[in-house]
Amino acid sequence: MRLRRSLAWLALIIAVPVYAGAQQPASADSTVLFKALDLESAGKYKEAAPLFRAALQTPSSVSALLGLERVYAELGWSDSLLAPLDTLIQRNPREPMYRTVQLRTLQTLGKDTDLRRAFERWTRDIPTDPSPYREMARILLQRNQTSSADSVIRRARAALGRANDLQLEIAQLRAAMGLWAESAVAWRQALVGAPYLEQAAVYALAPTPSATRQAVRQTLLAAPIEVGARRVLADLETGWGAPSAGWEALRPLPPDSASADAWTEFADKAEAEERWPLAREALAAALKWRPTPDLSVRAARAALNAGDAEAAMTLAPLAQAGNDSTRLAQVYVPIHARALAMLGKPEDAAALSGRVDKWLTPATRVALTRTVAWGWVRSGDMIKARAALSAAGVEGDSSDTAGWLALYEGDLKTARTLLRSGAETTPELALALGLVARIRGDRAPEIGKAFLSLARGDTTRAAAEMAEAAERFPDGASLLLLTAAQLRFALKDESQAIVLWQRVVEQQGATPEAPQAELEWARALRRKGDAGAAVAHLEHLILTYPQSALVPQARRELELVRSSIPGNS
Amino acid sequence: MRFWRSFGLAFIAALTLGVRAGAQKLLVPMDDAQQNHLKAYGLTFSALKAGITAEWLLNYRGGSFLLPDTPELRRRAGLDGITIEALDNGSLAGIRNEIAEANMETVPLEKAPKIAVYTPPDAPPWDDAVTLALKYAGIEYTAVYDDEVEKGELSKYDWLHLHHEDFTGQLNKFYLGYRDAPWFVDLLQKNATSARRLGFSNIPALKKDVAEKIRQFVERGGFVFAMCGATETLELAIAGHDVDLASSFIDGTPMDENADRKMDWKRAMAFQGAHLEMSPYVNSMSDIDGHQVNVPGRRQPLGTFTLFNFSAKFDPVPSMLVQDHRAVISDFFGVTTSFNKSVLKPGVTVLAFEEGAPWVKYIHGDYGKGTWTYYGGHDPEDPQHAIGNPPTDLSLHKNSPGYRLILNNVLFPAAKKKPLKT
Repeated sequence: MRLRRSLAWLALIIAVPVYAGAQQPASADSTVLFKALDLESAGKYKEAAPLFRAALQTPSSVSALLGLERVYAELGWSDSLLAPLDTLIQRNPREPMYRTVQLRTLQTLGKDTDLRRAFERWTRDIPTDPSPYREMARILLQRNQTSSADSVIRRARAALGRANDLQLEIAQLRAAMGLWAESAVAWRQALVGAPYLEQAAVYALAPTPSATRQAVRQTLLAAPIEVGARRVLADLETGWGAPSAGWEALRPLPPDSASADAWTEFADKAEAEERWPLAREALAAALKWRPTPDLSVRAARAALNAGDAEAAMTLAPLAQAGNDSTRLAQVYVPIHARALAMLGKPEDAAALSGRVDKWLTPATRVALTRTVAWGWVRSGDMIKARAALSAAGVEGDSSDTAGWLALYEGDLKTARTLLRSGAETTPELALALGLVARIRGDRAPEIGKAFLSLARGDTTRAAAEMAEAAERFPDGASLLLLTAAQLRFALKDESQAIVLWQRVVEQQGATPEAPQAELEWARALRRKGDAGAAVAHLEHLILTYPQSALVPQARRELELVRSSIPGNS
Repeated sequence: MRFWRSFGLAFIAALTLGVRAGAQKLLVPMDDAQQNHLKAYGLTFSALKAGITAEWLLNYRGGSFLLPDTPELRRRAGLDGITIEALDNGSLAGIRNEIAEANMETVPLEKAPKIAVYTPPDAPPWDDAVTLALKYAGIEYTAVYDDEVEKGELSKYDWLHLHHEDFTGQLNKFYLGYRDAPWFVDLLQKNATSARRLGFSNIPALKKDVAEKIRQFVERGGFVFAMCGATETLELAIAGHDVDLASSFIDGTPMDENADRKMDWKRAMAFQGAHLEMSPYVNSMSDIDGHQVNVPGRRQPLGTFTLFNFSAKFDPVPSMLVQDHRAVISDFFGVTTSFNKSVLKPGVTVLAFEEGAPWVKYIHGDYGKGTWTYYGGHDPEDPQHAIGNPPTDLSLHKNSPGYRLILNNVLFPAAKKKPLKT
């Protein structure tokens, strides 16, 4: 109800300036209309109806008619609209809104014969107007009567000698008929004159089956390059699970304000979904046309999150802060310090932080201290990392960063206490907490070494060290092996991942990691085309761990392997 | 090796821990306790396929199944997430007493029927509710089409399913809306080639002959289950065997002006006195369908349909066909959605109807030595299904009451014939 009322107001905002614009100055007529609108918005439909009816005689008759249509619909009196509509049409047969409301009302009332007659009368009265065909086609499409809508559009082509004004309806019709390539052509043409239809085009073309998507792509990518068509394709590709292809649709746009809008909006979505390399690309492209400091900072942060430290420093140079020392300290230095730390230059990061120390807030200072400490960790110098943290005082020594340092040094007792105090929750932290809680002893240098390798970005070594540590610490072996397998999988080393999943399933069958390892193993086998082995493992998982939360996923995988349900197209 | 040893141990543990040891029967409940109704039919079918006798407990807890307690059936139930309950002799006796005293009946199921689905060789299984259901439930079937029917291969099967084939040979009049669509052009060419290869002058001639062979299949004792447009057009093709029913778009000649009068409804299985749609430009075949979904101005809205509650002891056959955990089900469109009561032959059993409407949804009858069942609509879980829509994923509708009706039909031929009491 609230939605309908807000739509009613939207219609009013659109309609009043257009149709009431002629009356100067505001008269008693418009007072009647506004009073009717007030009553309508207060939900007093019965009281509003006579005022709207009275306003039909004024120059605001279109707004009044739309109001009357709304309140009659609320009251269930839509049939009472037909008589005033006949009078209005007789008075001004060329007003398309009267005819549109008439068709809409007849359709609502289910008077199909009268609807067809009203449509025919409209086409006869104004033979050169595309509106009757458009409105009728829309109604038929809403009713899912695609072949009848198609007939109306064919008639329009024959009667008007063109169908340019009906591109939206043609596009919707072709999509409803499953003619995806033809629909894309029509959408592209419709978007030229009506860029606001982009979302409608995306919605209509999103169900295109994968086998036909290439034709849609070709249509939307064809020369000349048009921003609207490219934006639609970018959204479609993202929805189809290929955001990189979405960016490829937008990348070649010529630099101008419309393109910059498209790039920025694409970046907004990429940031929200943490697709950092794409966000960096899109923001960097937008910067070329719109070089604002805010955009450059966003681009630099995206670059950092994408692991591209050098680009981050180029995108947001320190000089951009100008004479604003506070902004330099609060915004630019943290970016550069993090980039330097990532590049293995913690000394430079510390020096940079020191230069702006007097403009730092306490929170930023602590954050920078951690950044420098992480830089030393990445460089492999744990003594300097600890020293950097100690320099920040008691707070630094009791932080979750100190907890990580303790873990890297194999001091599980300290790590257990400090890691729990962290405000951030990351998958790495969850893993570390899970592991230190499970291992009984207080010292585990082998595990520390593995986590340190991970922090340094040496995933291959981390995976190997986790697997080695599993031999030494049977309490955490299944989790260490599963983590090692996940790292191997992330490195696209599926064969080594399978070896590790196999170890979990065969040697650690009673642990909570076993069903997860078996599910991943089965998925890997399915990807390799070994359906028989995948089925065996999925069956084993379901029957061995019937209480596992992974059983529904395993059943679904089993159905996909057996082709008993449609796969993703 | 260790893996398989642990698998074996775990499997044995699962068998012994989940349900009471020493049970003699497994009850597959089909009321709301059942987690996967559709796969439960597959479980029962697999038992029959393995030579095991099952029992169908009509009207007992939604039409439950009773199976012997075997490791293999327990294993399959576990894998598919099917709810089973182990019964000892005492519990079983209690159930049998309850069945004896109420509107319930026990029907032995003895032999898995040999199932054929009439569908083009290259059709994916996802555009036909029956193949979707069979695939999901894990029930084996063989796809047959015009070549197999013309070679007389229907006699190899007990049960034949038809879906949206147009047996009048007009390809569902899709030329009205899709004449330029590549898939329609392809469909037209393939059918025309098939007709020529099999010695027919055009598509309608071939399809009418196929319809005639299906009629003979039923007459000789086969079971036909049809849905969607196949229901109506099969009847039209049989009654109009010697009449030109097709428009010039398909066979080059207009429809016989007197076709309506020339229809021989005595030959038909379910309908009589229906009137053909004479206009080639109206997307309807006749007035058999109550909903006329593709005809502007005639289209009727969807409501709900109610399953008839038969006496299980006196009418076990229709009772089997309506076993469900819901009595009222949401309706769904198809090329043919429903059947007008006014054209039903006397003796047709109405299995489901819409309260107050002039049409019915689900009907059944005998013909010769066989039986037929017609279920209007295309897909019970996609009520507005349109061409190009994504296929229904039944793992998201595993308790679908509409799909259960389809699977009732698959098991019904497995029932041991008892002398009917009425």
